[in-house]
Amino acid sequence: MSDNDLSRRSYLKGASAAGAASLAGLTGCLGLGGGGGSDPVELLHGWSGGDGASAFEAMHEGFQKEHDVETNVKPIGGSGNTTLDARISTRLGNDDPPSSWAEWPGQNLTQFTSEDLLGDIESDVWEENGMKDAYLEGPKEAAQVGGSYVAVPTNIHRINNLFFNKSVVESAGIDPAGLESPADLVEAAATVEEETDAVGFSHAMSSPWTTLQLWACVFLGEHGESAYDDFISGEGDQDAVQSSLETVAELSAHFNEDAGTVGFQEANQKVIDGGAAFFDQGDWAAQQYISQEGFEFESEWGHVPFPGTDGLYSLNMDSWVYSADGPNPEGTKEWLRYVGTKDAQVRFNTRKGSIPPRSDVSTEEFGPFQTSQIEEFQNSKAQPPSIAHGLAVAPETLTNLKNAVSNEFSNPSMDAAANAAEAFMNAF
Amino acid sequence: MIDRIHEAVRARGESEGDGDARTDGGTATVADDDAGSFFGSVSRDFLGSLPFWLPPFALMGFFVYGAIGWNFALSLVNVQQFNQPNYSQLDFDQYLRAFGDPSFISAAQNTAVLLVAFTLACLVVGLLVAILVDRHVRFENTFRTIYLLPMSLSFVVTAQFWLWLYNFDNGLVNVVTQALGLGRYKWISNPELALGAVVFALIWQFSGYAMVVYLAGLRAIPDEHYEAARVDGASTLKMYWRVIVPQLKGATISASVVLMVFALKAFDFLYALAGGFFPPKGTDILSTMMVRQAFSAGNRSYAAAIGIMLFLLAIAIVAPYLTYQYRRGEL
Repeated sequence: MSDNDLSRRSYLKGASAAGAASLAGLTGCLGLGGGGGSDPVELLHGWSGGDGASAFEAMHEGFQKEHDVETNVKPIGGSGNTTLDARISTRLGNDDPPSSWAEWPGQNLTQFTSEDLLGDIESDVWEENGMKDAYLEGPKEAAQVGGSYVAVPTNIHRINNLFFNKSVVESAGIDPAGLESPADLVEAAATVEEETDAVGFSHAMSSPWTTLQLWACVFLGEHGESAYDDFISGEGDQDAVQSSLETVAELSAHFNEDAGTVGFQEANQKVIDGGAAFFDQGDWAAQQYISQEGFEFESEWGHVPFPGTDGLYSLNMDSWVYSADGPNPEGTKEWLRYVGTKDAQVRFNTRKGSIPPRSDVSTEEFGPFQTSQIEEFQNSKAQPPSIAHGLAVAPETLTNLKNAVSNEFSNPSMDAAANAAEAFMNAF
Repeated sequence: MIDRIHEAVRARGESEGDGDARTDGGTATVADDDAGSFFGSVSRDFLGSLPFWLPPFALMGFFVYGAIGWNFALSLVNVQQFNQPNYSQLDFDQYLRAFGDPSFISAAQNTAVLLVAFTLACLVVGLLVAILVDRHVRFENTFRTIYLLPMSLSFVVTAQFWLWLYNFDNGLVNVVTQALGLGRYKWISNPELALGAVVFALIWQFSGYAMVVYLAGLRAIPDEHYEAARVDGASTLKMYWRVIVPQLKGATISASVVLMVFALKAFDFLYALAGGFFPPKGTDILSTMMVRQAFSAGNRSYAAAIGIMLFLLAIAIVAPYLTYQYRRGEL
């Protein structure tokens, strides 16, 4: 019996020692982070499915063909980068940054640069491969914060688009190319509803960013680029903001009735089905038309710049940032140099439906819609950054603006426009 | 009879005086070394049991309560996005900020409305369904499964599902209201209806849970109670109201605690409904606001303060239940 006692006691001691050791081990784990040069390059991005996933895959393949750098890729899905942003925010908060991740450039990067979380890559990346000459001014500006380059844009989406169903607008007797201002669009939407059974303007309002984006297009179309620049720098004119919100409210009379519960894909589907005439969205919406059998560019659907914004190419971009303290900095720079090349941008953009930020990429491999967008981009007189995607404003301002739309403008009306305009001004 | 009781009491008195005998009738055969020292035996038990409870206790303490403590510390400083906390200056500014923030007040109100309306309605619906199922209807098990099924679905699925049901043009809810001559409504985008619509969807999902708890309670009531009520001439309604429902107090309390905690966690549903951090106007609750402040606006300390208040709310719900259980000796 005493033998049993002894062995049991020593067993217990062993167990408690093991417990203490594992606890110490776990505690130790929390302090880990960073790493040396031999670690794989850790890349985080939000393209976990669809055209985004295949676009990234193609670009990553191209990188691995030419470079002998081990990578550790983590796709983190979720609409509008929501989940990716939360993950990045947690990782950086825990001092455990990845090597590089896909991020909206522009003002969105100030949240990182203000804490020195991103490194300068001007000499190591931007001065290679003729990047500085090949990128247009808008994308180059978006890649810098406070004068230093911290990111490499890989693709450009245009925001100020007006898509339309050709047969619907034709049967209403409208020529979309003749719409010169947002007010013309409101009138055209009314005409569509008088002349056909279709809804004038398809819109999605289940989340606030779509309405914020629509307002930004209307604002740009009504008040021009310099008023837009003033607004994003926090010095906007409240009357101008309000008058554009009122235009959106007028347009909302011609929205689909279920706008409040649908996302942009469902709203866009109404254009494809002939249930709606016009639609405003980033050019990712065109990818939905292109993948639709028997729905062809210029015969079934068409595109014009959002009325009043001809000559402007409102930018939304994705870029890869350089983490100041991530694993394998040399390999990371190699990755960033690669994503800035023509090869990477052709591979990525042909599949993503966006256009390359390099102006020296041949249009041969792109479809007719992308080719026309590339031409408009290269001939654009200015490239104002997108508000709804954080290129133009810091994250907290963007949150405030989305809050303003959600709280004050979820049912657009003239009264709501006044309140929302005030909330927009207070967002800065 | 009385003599025998006296005898027994006498016998007990004698045995208590006898150090070697035990109350269970046996005798202690091995003398205890620590018999004279109360503290000695406690510390030996303590040391001996240490390996069993210490590792889980330490792990729980570190990862759960440590994290809550850290969150509290974070709520006392002012951390924006990635800047480092300065723990030398602690104050309750973030809590004061919350009480002066109209969006916090409205989120708190919505949370309270959701909590009360959802819990009460779930209990009522669950009880009615449990009583119906308990009346030995045909296909009883099938009905039970059907009612319970929604609970097994993820919030992400049910949110998308209700988004379709609430669609203005072709959603089933509007098809029904129109057929009844009530017209069509913008259930989600009308802020006056949105919270009600969300509560209704959650009731659909969780009343099955209340039903199961009540069903177990009903099954525990002996048939004699029903029979006695019948013999005394009670109507069905009176029988349930006076005899059966009062016996379901325990089931009601435990079901309502679980439901209220579910209501506090309705975050997933609203997040999936809006596909992001901005729930439809009129449905913002504390948990959605907390996540939005933390991950969208980057106000970490403010989010931590909201989190602590949410935690206190959960404690306030669970504590009375635990006290009740403790008093009844079930804890």
